Amino acid sequence: MLEAIDLVKCYGPVRALDEFSLSVAAGEIVGLVGHNGAGKTTFVEIVSYLTRPDGGHVTIDGKPPSAVKGQVGVAPQHIALYPSVSVREHLELFGKLAGLRGQALTTAIDDIVAALRLSDFIDRHAAVLSGGQQRRTQAATALIHRPALLLLDEPTAGADLETRQAMLDVVKQRAGEGAAVVYTTHYLPELTELQATIAVVRDGRVIARGTHEELVDGLPGEVQLTFDNEEEITVSTTHPANTLIDLLSRADRPISTVDVRNPSLDDLYRSLAVSNAP
Amino acid sequence: MLLDTPHTQQRVEPPPPAGLVENLRGAAYRIGALAKHNTLIRLRDPGQMISYVAMPMVLMLVLKPLYVRAVEGGATQVATGLMVMFSVFAISIAGNAILVERTWRTWDRLRASRAPATELLLGKTIPIFVVMVVQQSILLVYGCLVIGLPIPKAPQYVVFAIAIWAFALLSIGAALATIVRSHGELSVISDVGALTLSSLGGALVPLSIMPEWAQVAAHISPGYWALTMMQAAVRGDAAGTLAPAGVLLAIGLVAGTFAVRRLTRGWGRGHLL
Repeated sequence: MLEAIDLVKCYGPVRALDEFSLSVAAGEIVGLVGHNGAGKTTFVEIVSYLTRPDGGHVTIDGKPPSAVKGQVGVAPQHIALYPSVSVREHLELFGKLAGLRGQALTTAIDDIVAALRLSDFIDRHAAVLSGGQQRRTQAATALIHRPALLLLDEPTAGADLETRQAMLDVVKQRAGEGAAVVYTTHYLPELTELQATIAVVRDGRVIARGTHEELVDGLPGEVQLTFDNEEEITVSTTHPANTLIDLLSRADRPISTVDVRNPSLDDLYRSLAVSNAP
Repeated sequence: MLLDTPHTQQRVEPPPPAGLVENLRGAAYRIGALAKHNTLIRLRDPGQMISYVAMPMVLMLVLKPLYVRAVEGGATQVATGLMVMFSVFAISIAGNAILVERTWRTWDRLRASRAPATELLLGKTIPIFVVMVVQQSILLVYGCLVIGLPIPKAPQYVVFAIAIWAFALLSIGAALATIVRSHGELSVISDVGALTLSSLGGALVPLSIMPEWAQVAAHISPGYWALTMMQAAVRGDAAGTLAPAGVLLAIGLVAGTFAVRRLTRGWGRGHLL
C-alpha cells in the first residue's frame, strides 16, 4: 500500500530525512517512534503531499501521492481546526472535500461521531472544546471518508484517557477493515495495544523495524529483591529469569518481595535516548 | 493491493477516470463546500465588515457640506472618494481571512484533501469577493440616496467597475497575507497603506486642489485609478471606465499570481511566523 524508498529531505543545512525507507501493507499498523526532530512529521508531510522530497520516491498503491490525495486521511500533530466552526460543520466540510454527498455523507458523519464519541459536543464550536475533544474532532475529519491510508501524527498527544481509548479503538477497527495506518507517537504502550509493527526513526532514517518482541529482544530488564530488613538489590540483566534464580540461590537473608521486569518499549526508547545523546 | 480495501461500510472510491463534465461537477461541489464554509466564518466575525460600511456612511454625511462648498461635484467626490478609501481598508478583510488559515494551521489540512489548490483558493476568495462587492454597492447606493451622488446613467459600468476594483483589492490582500508575519503586521500595512494610497490617489482631497507633485505621484496609487474609474462609471463614460480598469486588472493579476504561487506551495515565510 505505502512504499517509501530512500527519501531525502533537507531544510537548509538540516537533513530531516536521510534515505528514509518504509513500507506499510493494507491492514497493517506501523508505529513510528523516535525523538523529536527524528523525521517522523516530515515523512507524514511528504506522504500527504504537503512537502516534496529532495530525493527518493514514495508511492501509494503504486501511484505518487499527488494522484491519490483523496484516499489518504491525515491528522497532523498540531490541532488545526476553525475556532468558530462547529464539530458537525467540520465533518461536513471534510466529508464533502473527500467527495461524500447526500445520504453517504450523513451516514459517514453518524458513524464517526459514534466511533469517536463526539455526540455530546457535536454542535459546539471548536474554540470551546477541551483539548481531548479537539483531538477527537481532528481525527474524525481525517477518518470520515474511510481512507485506505491513514496518517496519524501523534493523535493522542496531551489527550485524556477517554480520547486515547476512543482513538485506539477506531484505529484498530479501521486497520481491521483493511486500512494501512502510519501512527506516530511517544506513548509506546499504545503501540503494544494496537499490535503495531514498530519502526524506530533516528536522524531521518528507519534504524529498526519489527514487532514489540523482536525489538526489545536483547534489551536489559530488571530483577529487584527486597529483603526483610528493607534492603534492596536491583540488577539490570538481559536474562531476568536466570538472574533471578542465581540471586535467590545466593541470598543469605530472608526475602520479602521479588520483582522481575521484562524489557519494554520504554527501555528501547531510553536506550535510543542514551545512544542519541551528544 | 487495492485502495478500496473491502469492508462492510462505505469507503470513498478512488476517483474513476471521469469525463470533463464529471470532473467539473466534482470541482463545483468542493468549491461550493469551501465557499459555504468560508461564508460561515465571515458571518460569525462580521465586525470588520460592519465598521467598513458604517464608518464611511457617517463620514460621507458629515463631510458632504464641506466638499459641496469646496469643489464642483462635491457630492460625487465625497461619496466615491470615501467609498474607494474604505474599500482599500477592506484589503485587511481579505488578508486576515487568508492569514488565519496559517495561524490556525488549517491551510495544510485543506491542501491534504482531494481539492486541488485552485479549488481551495476559489472557495476561499469567492466569499471575500462578495463581501467587497456588497460593501462597495451599499456605499454607492447610500451615496445616491442620501449624499446626492448622481444616479448612474449606465449601471452596468458601475457593476463592472466594482467587480474590477474588488478583484484588485482581493489580490493585493491575498498577496499581503502571504508575506506578512502576523495579524499586527498586516493591520499596520493595510491601514497605513490604505490611508496613504487612497489619500494620494485623491480619495480624501480632490486631486485638482492638491500640489502639482502630488498630482503626478497619484498615478502610482491604485486608489487613483479606482477613483477615476468609479467617477467615470457613474458618469456613464465607457472609455473613462475601461482605461483605469485595465490598470487595476493588471495590478490584480500580478498580485493574484504572486499570492497563488505562494499559497499553492505552502507558506513561503511560515518559519517566520
